[in-house]
Amino acid sequence: MTKNMTKKWAKVAVRSALLFGAPVVLLSPARTQTPPSAAKTRTSSAAAAQTNRALRGQADLEGVWSIAFLTPLQRDPALGNKQFFTPEEAAAYLKKSSQELDADRRDLPPDADTALAYNQSWYERGTKVGRNMRTSLVIDPPDGRIPPMTPEAKRRFEDAHAHFAAHPADGPEDRSLSERCLDFPQEGPPLLPGGYNNNYQIVQTPNYVAILAEMGNKARIIPLDGRPHLPQNVSQWNGDARGHWEGKTLVVDTTNVRFNDRSHFGINYDGLTDQNLRVTERFTRTAADTITYQATINDPTVYAKPWTIEIVMSKTDDPIFEYACHEGNYGMSGILSGARADEKKAAEQSHN
Amino acid sequence: MRGKPRKLGKLAGLIVAAGLFSCAMPTWAHHAFTAEFDSSQPIKLHGTVTQMEWINPHAWIHVDVKGDDGKVTNWMVECGTPNTLLRRGFTRNTVTVGMEVVVDGYKAKDGSNRANGRDVTFPDGRKLFLSSPGTGASDDKPSSGAEDKNK
Repeated sequence: MTKNMTKKWAKVAVRSALLFGAPVVLLSPARTQTPPSAAKTRTSSAAAAQTNRALRGQADLEGVWSIAFLTPLQRDPALGNKQFFTPEEAAAYLKKSSQELDADRRDLPPDADTALAYNQSWYERGTKVGRNMRTSLVIDPPDGRIPPMTPEAKRRFEDAHAHFAAHPADGPEDRSLSERCLDFPQEGPPLLPGGYNNNYQIVQTPNYVAILAEMGNKARIIPLDGRPHLPQNVSQWNGDARGHWEGKTLVVDTTNVRFNDRSHFGINYDGLTDQNLRVTERFTRTAADTITYQATINDPTVYAKPWTIEIVMSKTDDPIFEYACHEGNYGMSGILSGARADEKKAAEQSHN
Repeated sequence: MRGKPRKLGKLAGLIVAAGLFSCAMPTWAHHAFTAEFDSSQPIKLHGTVTQMEWINPHAWIHVDVKGDDGKVTNWMVECGTPNTLLRRGFTRNTVTVGMEVVVDGYKAKDGSNRANGRDVTFPDGRKLFLSSPGTGASDDKPSSGAEDKNK
């Protein structure tokens, strides 16, 4: 086949794709007959996928994205309603926070020193504030703070704290979801950055969007076909997500988040949740290398009003690595045997 | 409500614990090292690597340490997630059997021969791993990469 003939077939394939979608493209000569080069085939395939999505009104969110930024979840109260850093303010903030977070420093009291765990090289929080230059991830309420809890939720929170202080590690069930390798803040919803593994891969098909979180090694499979949510008595660690497109924005509505003594949200932010929780996430491709992500957390029995976070996800060429948390979670046995050792020591001291 | 108040208690306690650790910044890591290691028992180990467990959620370096009496004891040293270092170009072969290292950390509460690798260096003081905290994302490229990765 000559180059001209290949071009001609490629044009036919694109026209076919516009009319019939991807299956025709997959059978087109550009892929099935002597391709001009592997690179061109890949380009053709990518173009076909793009066309496929475009035909269905989807924006392209595919790729690997990072949310490793140093923007704090809540705004420093001293900043009041100031929403954005100036470049100078951002530089000053980064200098201060980088010093505070520097795991190579050894000038802290022993407890704080131990809590830093290991060298800085094992952390990957990023080095900058988000590209939106926000002073906090929380963008609503305007003060950048998570709204106060309702009196009932506050009472439960305090009761809970007292109980946990008395039973820090009776068994593995007393430990956090992350220590049990069950769930991590980065998994969402909402997506929230942590100390490392703040990477996601998004894959789209006409009827589903999949979001793989490196931390936790789990993918949220989000149907786009308008099916109803699961029955109210079925709950899941990452909730039950349903997606739809509003223009170029993917909107994901999540309910049925598991609510018990190890509720998912407990490790995500300083608050509680209950069965009324609903999270609405919005993914918008705002530039070639960014997705603007917003999530509104609405839980009327816990918070006085809904609140919203915003993160500018940044494109990365890095791969996602498997985080097989159960592979070698020696830490859990170490924590439990440590608790038994503490109890033994306390008993001996009280006996003496 | 699906949860019992007592159970909610444990949840909120976790939240408070997380809050105390993280404050405003996302400092969170996989587990609480203060629950596993004793901050009143700092320890310094000079030894040779016998094994590198390049596993999640945390890598472990095993080292043989010779005591004053000449007796050799094997210690396990806990580090962070390998994913971060893999992304920067380090591999399991970066740390090889027989390599001499110095571990400055805290001993396990349960009295076993385990410690955390609060600092892991070569005998001359150089860090075992040294790299920029950048992520590789489009607007957070490391400014100085893994130039020391083979040390």
